[in-house]
Amino acid sequence: MKQLTIDVGGTFTDCLVLEESGELERFKASTTPADPTLGFFDAVGKAARHYGEPLDAFLAGVEQIVHGTTLGTNILITERGAKVGMITTKGFRDSIEMRRGIKNLHGSMFDIFIAPYKPLVPRYLRLGVEERVLYDGQVLTPVNESELRTAARTLLDEGCTAIAICFLHAYANGENELKAKRIVQEMAPSAYVATSHETIPVWREFERFSTVVVSAYIGPALTRYARRLQDGLKEHGFGGRLLMMLANGLVQVVDECVDRAVYLLNSGPAAAPSAATYLGGLHAKRNLLSMDMGGTSFDVCVIKDGEIPTTTESWVGEHRVAIKMVDVPTVGAGGGSLAWMDSLGLLRVGPQSAGADPGPAAYGKGSEATVTDADLVLGYIPADYFLGGDIKLEVKRSYQAVEGIGKSLNMGSDAAAQAMYTTINTVMANLITEVCTKQGHDLRDFTLVAGGGAGGIHAAAIARQLSIPMVIVPRVAALMSAFGMFAKDLGLEYARSCFRTQRQIDFAEIGSLYADMRRQALADFARIGIAPSQMAFQPTVEMRYVGQFHDVEVELPAENLNAENFKALLAAFHAKYEKMYTYSMPWRDAEFHTFRLKATAARRAMKMAAHDKASAGLEAARRGSRACLYDGRAKRVETPVYDWDRLEPGHRIDGPALIDDKTTTVLVLPGYCCEVDAYCNLILRSG
Amino acid sequence: MNKRARSTIDPVTLATVWHGFQSLCREMRSMVTRTAQSYLMATLKDLSVGVWLADGSTVAVPEGLPGQFLGTQFAIEAIREKFKDDLHPGDVILTNDPYHGGHNSHLPDWGFIRPIFHEGELLFFTMVRGHMQDTGGSFPGGYFANAYDIIAEGLCIPPLKVIKRGVEDADLNALIYNNVRFPTEIKIDANAMIATAKFAENRIAEMLRRYGRDTVLGAIHEMMDRTERAVRAEIGAMPDGTYSGDSSTDDDGTVLDQPVTVRVDVTVAGDEITMDFSRSDAQRPGFVNCVYAVTYARAVAAVIIYMDPALADFHNTGSLRPIKVIAPPGTVTNAQYPATVGASPVNVGGQVIEACVEALGKAKPDRSIASWGKHRGDYTFAVDPRTGERYVRTTFDYDGSAGAVWGHDGMTGPTTLTTLGSVQRGSLEEAEIRYPWRMLKLEARADFNGAGRWRGGGGIDWRALNEGSDGRMATGSSDGDFIQVKGAQGGQSNPRSRTLILRGGEKIRVKPHRMAEIKAGDIVVKLSAGGAGVGDPFARPIEKVATDVRREMVTVEGARLLYGVVIDPATLKVDEEATLRLRSAIRARRYEAVINEDTLDIELKPVGETKGNTA
Repeated sequence: MKQLTIDVGGTFTDCLVLEESGELERFKASTTPADPTLGFFDAVGKAARHYGEPLDAFLAGVEQIVHGTTLGTNILITERGAKVGMITTKGFRDSIEMRRGIKNLHGSMFDIFIAPYKPLVPRYLRLGVEERVLYDGQVLTPVNESELRTAARTLLDEGCTAIAICFLHAYANGENELKAKRIVQEMAPSAYVATSHETIPVWREFERFSTVVVSAYIGPALTRYARRLQDGLKEHGFGGRLLMMLANGLVQVVDECVDRAVYLLNSGPAAAPSAATYLGGLHAKRNLLSMDMGGTSFDVCVIKDGEIPTTTESWVGEHRVAIKMVDVPTVGAGGGSLAWMDSLGLLRVGPQSAGADPGPAAYGKGSEATVTDADLVLGYIPADYFLGGDIKLEVKRSYQAVEGIGKSLNMGSDAAAQAMYTTINTVMANLITEVCTKQGHDLRDFTLVAGGGAGGIHAAAIARQLSIPMVIVPRVAALMSAFGMFAKDLGLEYARSCFRTQRQIDFAEIGSLYADMRRQALADFARIGIAPSQMAFQPTVEMRYVGQFHDVEVELPAENLNAENFKALLAAFHAKYEKMYTYSMPWRDAEFHTFRLKATAARRAMKMAAHDKASAGLEAARRGSRACLYDGRAKRVETPVYDWDRLEPGHRIDGPALIDDKTTTVLVLPGYCCEVDAYCNLILRSG
Repeated sequence: MNKRARSTIDPVTLATVWHGFQSLCREMRSMVTRTAQSYLMATLKDLSVGVWLADGSTVAVPEGLPGQFLGTQFAIEAIREKFKDDLHPGDVILTNDPYHGGHNSHLPDWGFIRPIFHEGELLFFTMVRGHMQDTGGSFPGGYFANAYDIIAEGLCIPPLKVIKRGVEDADLNALIYNNVRFPTEIKIDANAMIATAKFAENRIAEMLRRYGRDTVLGAIHEMMDRTERAVRAEIGAMPDGTYSGDSSTDDDGTVLDQPVTVRVDVTVAGDEITMDFSRSDAQRPGFVNCVYAVTYARAVAAVIIYMDPALADFHNTGSLRPIKVIAPPGTVTNAQYPATVGASPVNVGGQVIEACVEALGKAKPDRSIASWGKHRGDYTFAVDPRTGERYVRTTFDYDGSAGAVWGHDGMTGPTTLTTLGSVQRGSLEEAEIRYPWRMLKLEARADFNGAGRWRGGGGIDWRALNEGSDGRMATGSSDGDFIQVKGAQGGQSNPRSRTLILRGGEKIRVKPHRMAEIKAGDIVVKLSAGGAGVGDPFARPIEKVATDVRREMVTVEGARLLYGVVIDPATLKVDEEATLRLRSAIRARRYEAVINEDTLDIELKPVGETKGNTA
C-alpha cells in the first residue's frame, strides 16, 4: 500500500507518494483557490498517471493520506470567513476589540497613524447574557436562558452561521458554556457552534475568546471543504484514512478536528520542521534550523536536540491565536519579494510581495523588481527550465526592473541585483538570529535544512553569513512540508488550568485532572479505532515563579505526582528557566497554571530508500553552464550546471556550481562544496 | 568618527548594523516582560529600554514610554561627569532620582544603566527602566499626594553602582531592599532588568566582533546623519511661525480643585523647531512637577509622532538635533529640588505631550492628532483574605481609549497618549485570581468620547466589587474629572470622567489626586472618557455614523445632536432628507456627553452648561 501527503499551499499543491519500498515520487499542481479540492485531485491525478493507473485504482491502493492546507490561514488573512456571532458574559463584550490595548501590533510605536483594529465579529454581533463563573470554577450565576435565547435569535436573524460562546472563567468550569451551546444548537442545528473552553480551555479571556472567534470564523468553510474532500475521495475509491495536519504538529482524523477548526491554521508550515528532524537524523544532526523559502514568505524553526518547539504566543494576521502551535516564525521574504527604497535611502527587500499575480517581472506581467528577478539577472535561475520549463522567464524584463532599483542606488543592474540578493539574505539571517539567540543558542552548533522552491539558491549565502557549518538541501526541498507530514504522529492535546503554588499543590487533585484528561483522550481515540495499547501520553505543566506572568512549560515526571517526583519536577523547572534566561531563583516558590496532556499514537516509521553509490561519473549529470555573478567578483563566472535527477550518491561538486531540478535550483557558492548523500540530498559545506 | 570612514560602509552592512540595534531593543523589552514578576512590568509593560553611545547620543529607542527613556542622555552625561574614569566592564548603575544627576521622572521608575566596553574602550550604555511595584515612601506605589518633599515620596537613589565589575555591592543593596515594601519581589524584577542588560551586552559585543568597532560606530553615525536630514526636511516642510498649545491637569493634589497648566510655544524656523514652555505655571507644592529631562522627553516624542510615519523605525539622536526644548527652572516643566514629582508621568507629563500635540497640529493640520483619554489610574492597597497578604493593585484596564488622528478614528483599547500606547491592558481573569476584586463590567459606552469627522476611541465603563479587606485607594495617577483633552481641526474634546464608590445606597465621588477609604463590599465604578476627535463631526460620512449607531458606539440621540445625522430609532435607517436639513442649518448649540452621577447614564448636554469640579 502507498501513503500520500498533500500540501495545498498558496501557489502550488504538492503531492508526495511514498511507496512501500521507501521510494518517493513528487508531484506538483497549481492551487485552485476557488475550490481547492480541484487542485488536490489534479495533483493526485498526476500521481495516478505516473503509475499508469486510473485515479480510482490508484486511490484504492493508498492506505493513508495526510493533508495540510493553507485554506484556514487564507480565509483569515483575506477576511472571507463566516458571519460569526459572539455570545459572551454580560458586561464584557469588547474584550476582543480592545485587544489588551495593543496599538502597534506590527511596526514602530512612533507610528500613530494606524487604522483601528477590525475585530472578526463587529460589535452589533457581540451580545452579552447574564451568567457568571468564578475563578475557582464555582457557578455564581447560571445562564439566563431567556436572555440567551433572545441573543441567539438576534444573531441568527442577522444571518450568523457560526456562534462563538465566550464566558469568563469557562476554562475552570464549562457548565454554563455547554448549556448555552446546547440551546443554540437546538435553535439552529446547522450552525457552527464553538465554546471557548472546548476550543482552548486555558485562562486569560482575550486570548481564549479571540481564539474561539477565529475558530468559528474559519470553521464553517473548513468543515465544508473537509466534507467535500472526504466525499470526493470516497467516490474515487479511497478506502484508507484521511488525516489532517494540525498547527500543533500532530495529525488527526477529519471528524475530530473540524469542531476546533483553529487547529487547522498553519497546517502546512507546521509540518516542515519534522522533515528537518528526519533529514537531520540521517546525518546524526539534532540541532537544526528548518527553513522554508517560498514565493512570499520565509519560515524558520529552531530545533534544539531534535525537539520541535511550540508556542502559545502566535498572532495570525491581526488576530491573536493562543492555541499551541509549532513555533515557525515567519517574515515576508521569498522569490516574489519586492525591492524598494526606504525614506532614508536604504535598499529594502520585502515584506511586500508581487505574489502569484503579477508575480516577478520575469513572468511578463509586472514591472517591479523581485528576488526572483535578481536571481535571474545573477544567472542563478534557468530562464528556460524554471519549474521544469512550466514557466518561461523573460530575462530582459528582469534586467529592466532591477535597473530601476540600481538607479536609486547609483549602481548598474548587476550590482543592484547583487545588493538585492545580499539584502534579502540578511532579512532571513536576521530572523534566524533573532529566534535563535533569543533562546540563547549559538548558531554555529546548528545545521541548516533548506526547503522551499527558492531555498536552494539562498541557503549557502545565509549559512555563510551566520557561520553555520553545514546545509542540507533535501531532494524534496520544494515539497518540504508535504514530506514532513510523513513523520507525524496522530494526536490530540488536552489542557486544564488550575492555579496552585508549590505549597498549595494537592497531588490527588492533579491526579484526578489527569485521570479526567486521560478518560477524554481514550474516548476520543476509541472513536477513531485506536486502542489504548497504541497510545502514548506526555504530561506537561506551565509554571513560573510566584508572581510572574509568563510561563515555562516543563515535562511532568508522571501524571501522578508524589513527594519524590515533585522534587524532580521543581529541579527541572529551575534548570529550564536558567537555560532560557541565564539565571534562576531556586529560593523562590514556583506556581503551577495549566496542566497539559498530549496523547499520541505513533504511526509507522517512514523509511526512505537509500540509493547505490554512483556508477557514472559526474559529467553524465552535466547540463551546460550559466554565466553567474558572485559577491566580490567583478566579472561573471561561467558556472557548470548539473541535473539533480542524474546525480548519484557519492558525487562531489566544488563550487561555483548550480544544480537544477524540475522544482528548484541549488546554488553551490564559490568556496563551497556539495556532496550527494545516499538519499540524493545535497550537503553543502564551506571550504 | 570621520566622514571618510563612514562613506566606505556598504549599504547592506549599514542596514544590518542598524536593524541589529533595533531588534536588540525589542528583544530586551520582551525578556524583561517574560521574567519580571510585577503586574506593571510583566503584563502592562510599564518599562523601557534603549542603547546610547558613550557620549549619551541616542542610538536606538524603539520601545518604551517616552518619559521613561527619551531623555536618558542627560543621565548618561551626569554619570560620565560623576564617575569619570571609574566606569568598568561589569558595572551596573541604578538610579531613580529626578535630581542629583538621575534625571528621572518619579521614584518608582528604576533605571539600570550599564556601560559597555570594547577592548578597554567605553563605547555604549544600555538602559532598562521599569516601574517598580514599590519604592518606599509613605504609601505603596508612589502615586500618593501630599508628601512633604521628594524625601517623603520614597527612597531616592542617585546614580550609584549596585554592581561593581560584576560583583554586587552587598551593603548598598541591603540598604535599598531594607527600605522598600515587597523586597523579594522587587529583587526579582531588578534581577530581570540586570540580566537583560547583560544579554544586551553580549549581543553588542558579538556585533563589534563581527563588523569591527569602526564599522559599527560608522554605521551608527551615518544613520544619525541620515535621520537628521530626513527630520530636518520634515520640519522644513512645516510653515515657519509660532504655534501655541496648552493643557491642564485637574489640580496638584495639595491645592485642590485648581488646575495646573502647561503652555508651549512651538516655533518652526527653517528646519529647526523650538519648544518653549516658559509660559507654563510655576512649580507647585503638589506632586505634579516634571523635571527638565522628562519634559524634554515628552516634547521630542510629540515632534517625532508628527514626522512621516515612514521614519518611525529610525529615530535616534539625529531626530533630536533639530529640536530645542526651553523650560525655565522653577516652572512646573522644570521643577527644582526638593519638589515632589510622584504624579508626573501622568500629570503634568501627560499635559506636556498634549500641549505639544495641539500646537504641532496647527503647523501640520493634515497630520492632526487628537489627545487620548486620560489615565484613570489608582493604587489600591489592602489585604487579600484568601492569603492574608498585603497587595497593591494598579492597571490600565479602566482607562479610556485613543484619540483620533487625521484619517483614522481612535482605536478602542490603547491607553494614554503619554506612553504612545506602548503599555497594555491586563486580563480580567488573571486579575481576579491575583486580587480580591470581582469584575462586574468592562465595556465601551456609547457617545462617551470626543465626536469628530474621525471620532475618538470608546470611553470605558469599569466596575469591580471589593471582596477583600478595607483599605485605601490613592488616585494620584488619575486625571480628567474636570479638564477635558482637546480634539483637533474642529474635532470635539473628550467628555469628563468620574470615579465613584457605591457603598450600600451611597455614591461617593473620588476625585483624582486624592486618597480614599475603601470598604469590603464596595463597588468601584470608573467611567473613563475615550479619546478626542479630529475634524468637524458634521463632516463625518453619514454611513459611518449609521454604522456606529448599529454598533451601539453612538446613540440615536448622539447621531442627531453630535453628528447631525437623523436616524429612525426603530429601524436604524438614516433619514437622508432630515439629515441634510440638519447638517446645512446653522448650529446654534453644540452638545457633549456628560455623566449623570445619579443614574450613571451618559447624557448629551449643550457644551458649557455643566460644571466640572464643583458639580
